[in-house]
Amino acid sequence: MSDYIKLDSEKISEGVKTITELGGHGILKCVQCGACSAVCPGVKAGFPVLCRLLIKKVLDGQLEEMIEESSSWGCQACNRCTEVCPQGVRPQEVVFAFRRYQANELAFSTSAITSQMNLHSYGHAVFSDARELRKKVGLAPEAPTSAYNEKAQKEIQTLLENSPMGELGLY
Amino acid sequence: MAKVGVYVCHCGTNIAGVIDVEAVRAFAEALPEVVVARKDLFMCSDSGQELVKQDIREGLVDRVVVAACTPRTHEPIFRAAVESAGLNKYLFEMANIRDQDSWVHPDNPEQATEKAMKLLASAVGKASRLKPLEDKYVDVTQAALVIGGGVAGISSALELANMGYTTYLVEKEPSIGGIMAQLDKTFPTNDCSACILTPLMVDVGNHPNIKLMTYSEVEEVEGFIGNFTVKVRHKQSYIDWKKCTGCGDCAEVCVEQTKGRIPDEFNQGLSPRGAAYIHFPQAVPKKAVVDAANCISCKGHKFGQEPKISKKTGKPMIAPCQEACPADAIDRSQQFDPNGTIEEIKVGSIVVATGYQVMDKKWFKELAPDSPNVVTALQLERIISATGPSGGKLVRPSDQQKPKTITFVSCVGSRDENFHTYCSRVCCMYMIKQARLLKEKYPDLNINMHFIDVRAAGKEYDEYYTGARKMGINILKGKVGGLEVLPEDRLRVLAYDMEGAVPIEYESDLVVLATAIELPETAKKLAQATGLQFCGSHFYRELHPKLGPVETSVRGLFLAGCCQGPKDIPDTVSQAKGAAAVAAVPLAQGKVKIDPIISEVHAEKCSGCGICIPLCPYDAITFRMVADRPRAEIDMTACKGCGVCTTACPSAAIILHGYEEDQIYAQIAALTA
Ligand SMILES: Cc1cc2nc3c(=O)[nH]c(=O)nc-3n(C[C@H](O)[C@H](O)[C@H](O)COP(=O)(O)OP(=O)(O)OC[C@H]3O[C@@H](n4cnc5c(N)ncnc54)[C@H](O)[C@@H]3O)c2cc1C
Ligand code: SF4
Ligand code: SF4
Ligand code: SF4
Ligand code: SF4
Repeated sequence: MSDYIKLDSEKISEGVKTITELGGHGILKCVQCGACSAVCPGVKAGFPVLCRLLIKKVLDGQLEEMIEESSSWGCQACNRCTEVCPQGVRPQEVVFAFRRYQANELAFSTSAITSQMNLHSYGHAVFSDARELRKKVGLAPEAPTSAYNEKAQKEIQTLLENSPMGELGLY
Repeated sequence: MAKVGVYVCHCGTNIAGVIDVEAVRAFAEALPEVVVARKDLFMCSDSGQELVKQDIREGLVDRVVVAACTPRTHEPIFRAAVESAGLNKYLFEMANIRDQDSWVHPDNPEQATEKAMKLLASAVGKASRLKPLEDKYVDVTQAALVIGGGVAGISSALELANMGYTTYLVEKEPSIGGIMAQLDKTFPTNDCSACILTPLMVDVGNHPNIKLMTYSEVEEVEGFIGNFTVKVRHKQSYIDWKKCTGCGDCAEVCVEQTKGRIPDEFNQGLSPRGAAYIHFPQAVPKKAVVDAANCISCKGHKFGQEPKISKKTGKPMIAPCQEACPADAIDRSQQFDPNGTIEEIKVGSIVVATGYQVMDKKWFKELAPDSPNVVTALQLERIISATGPSGGKLVRPSDQQKPKTITFVSCVGSRDENFHTYCSRVCCMYMIKQARLLKEKYPDLNINMHFIDVRAAGKEYDEYYTGARKMGINILKGKVGGLEVLPEDRLRVLAYDMEGAVPIEYESDLVVLATAIELPETAKKLAQATGLQFCGSHFYRELHPKLGPVETSVRGLFLAGCCQGPKDIPDTVSQAKGAAAVAAVPLAQGKVKIDPIISEVHAEKCSGCGICIPLCPYDAITFRMVADRPRAEIDMTACKGCGVCTTACPSAAIILHGYEEDQIYAQIAALTA
């Protein structure tokens, strides 16, 4: 990326259109207040181009330039951003729209590979074993998810392997 | 036959850009009643009006129709022109071919032109049947009412009283002063709020023309501009204000008896008050009240009952407040009406200045509202105020220790779809003020301020803000996302530095929330009593956002201060003085005009059936005895000319002047031709 950007209105509207069509409907409502990024665990963990900054870059017409950006794969889908956003942007949806854009272009950063492999194995991009913790608070140890369900895992694997993702040779 | 003159306006390209003005003019010229039809680029210009005047003066026309923009703004202009040329101004009719035609049909010029012809023919049909009407006048009561005794109400009341009018000032709390009385110092000059407000409050208390009614509320408003009848409820204070000297002895014993359970609203709940209390030290009037809902009737001494006799001592057991009062102002044995008393007053105009409330912190769950060290900015005003609970010493509520780090959070409930989408306008500035005052007093204090952006638009405001930066106050762009409560009531701030694009986390001892300004729920009650309306932001709606900022849709009712929208003190006072000036207009004139386009009953045709009476939305119709029989009669000062009665009368005894039957039929005929 060069040190300066030109504000190209065609690139901006193209970027907004792409993100909106892929599910990031609220992107134009963002007023850049930064509340989302104040609570985002992804940002805290060193993935700066999430929610607020990701939106800003799209609004500056930098969608294509960001195609290799790895931050998006640091999103935990926790939706804290959605909860605190005062403008109803639903930033998490923008992040996911951006991921879809990256996936459609088959552009994965290396940091995304582990999570893709996790997705293939467990049906979760980020997965941690919470059985002990759940027992402690009196919940059934195994949450009803694909992580503990071989049949569901098989189905997810079939889906992934037959999708364009299969062509990447990750699995 | 009437001689109708028709004048078609181009309104620049507003009308002519869509409608074929010449075709419309030619069409008009061919109408049988029309003697002359002209057109002009701007009919409302001097030269346009001159066309009309000349035709009248020359005796060419005796009815005038202007086809142009809208009667809402321009009818008065053309009526005045017609009148100045010597014709009765009600022999004028307007055809709306801009707002209702060219503006709504820009894509269909042909049909728009056709519609303009119909609208014009309809106006001509009506105009040729119009009758001259006369304006009527009624006398006004030369007194004013101001509702709400904050700095807005105080400023309005003083202006009106200085003009010489008797002015009633009704305030629901025991003292006037409003929120300004709760503030420590005020931006942008940092003068002490009490120092500049107290003298005004004292002036109000002493002014020979001001009738101060505190601890009172407006219950009912009836009548119209110039002649309002208002019912004011004086709440029951349970203390004889004629005797009370404001010494506060009752309040002092009571706060002990009630063991600090009653939060003091003036100190924003940071300290207790008694059930018997004085609003605040500089109160005007400085009188005590007993808040009966919180009174525990010490020693069983209930209101309206003689004290019990002690079995031990044989003496009466008198409540401590009564015993403490050196002025004999408390006599609990009296029969009190808990509802207080109602007084009826008559005024010619009313200024509403009921102010605002700040949002409670409880709504913001992500901002640790249960922590004692999270306070609203108004609470901080009390903490740093010399009359506040800590005598002006900066302490954090959890342990009364001086904080080392203090955090300011902007836009809490403002600029937020979940609460209020508007900007509260004053919080950026008052937070900067609070930070500056604290930094001056405690230079080692670490102050972090988090803004979406800083709004400092006002005379000398930006300089005040940049001054804060120079003082070493940390100003950060980025909204605080959350607060986490740590052990021992410490707080972790989750923030973001927009410029550096990095998250920020740190521990803070005291966090101040700039919660939004809004109208309280009780604002609805006053709206119902007065006919006030609300705007989209749920403040009282002014007549016009630019040209009628203090007027309302109810004639004779005006707005001042934050009840119309968030503002700082300079703007509040400017608006309040403006409101006083316009409220004085009907009083100064001594009479108000009654529009003659209202309904009238022909007593000889009225059968006395009474159908019209309950239908009138303004209660303007009553029965009057005419030759021993009841006949409907319409109060011309109450009638608004809606015409409901006219259409309902089975005897066709009611006419609506300016909208008579033959006039309306002529319009319909033209529109359906
Ligand atoms: C924390 C904080 C700090 C501020 N600091 C500054 C500052 O430094 N400088 C500055 O310029 N501005 C400041 N402001 C803004 C300032 O408070 C307002 O501009 C000002 O108080 C508005 O005055 P008002 O008379 O419109 O309303 P209020 O002060 O709210 O007065 C309204 C009065 O009407 C009474 N009332 C309400 N309803 C009724 C009713 N139905 N019947 C009878 N009476 C009724 C109320 O009891 C009250 O006394 C600050 C605001 C806040 C919240
Ligand atoms: S959902 Fe993603 S972007 Fe939003 S706060 Fe959580 S990790 Fe950050
Ligand atoms: S919280 Fe909402 S409005 Fe604020 S920067 Fe994030 S997405 Fe934009
Ligand atoms: S009786 Fe008097 S002192 Fe006791 S609570 Fe009531 S007001 Fe206060
Ligand atoms: S004045 Fe400042 S803090 Fe208050 S709502 Fe507006 S921008 Fe936010």
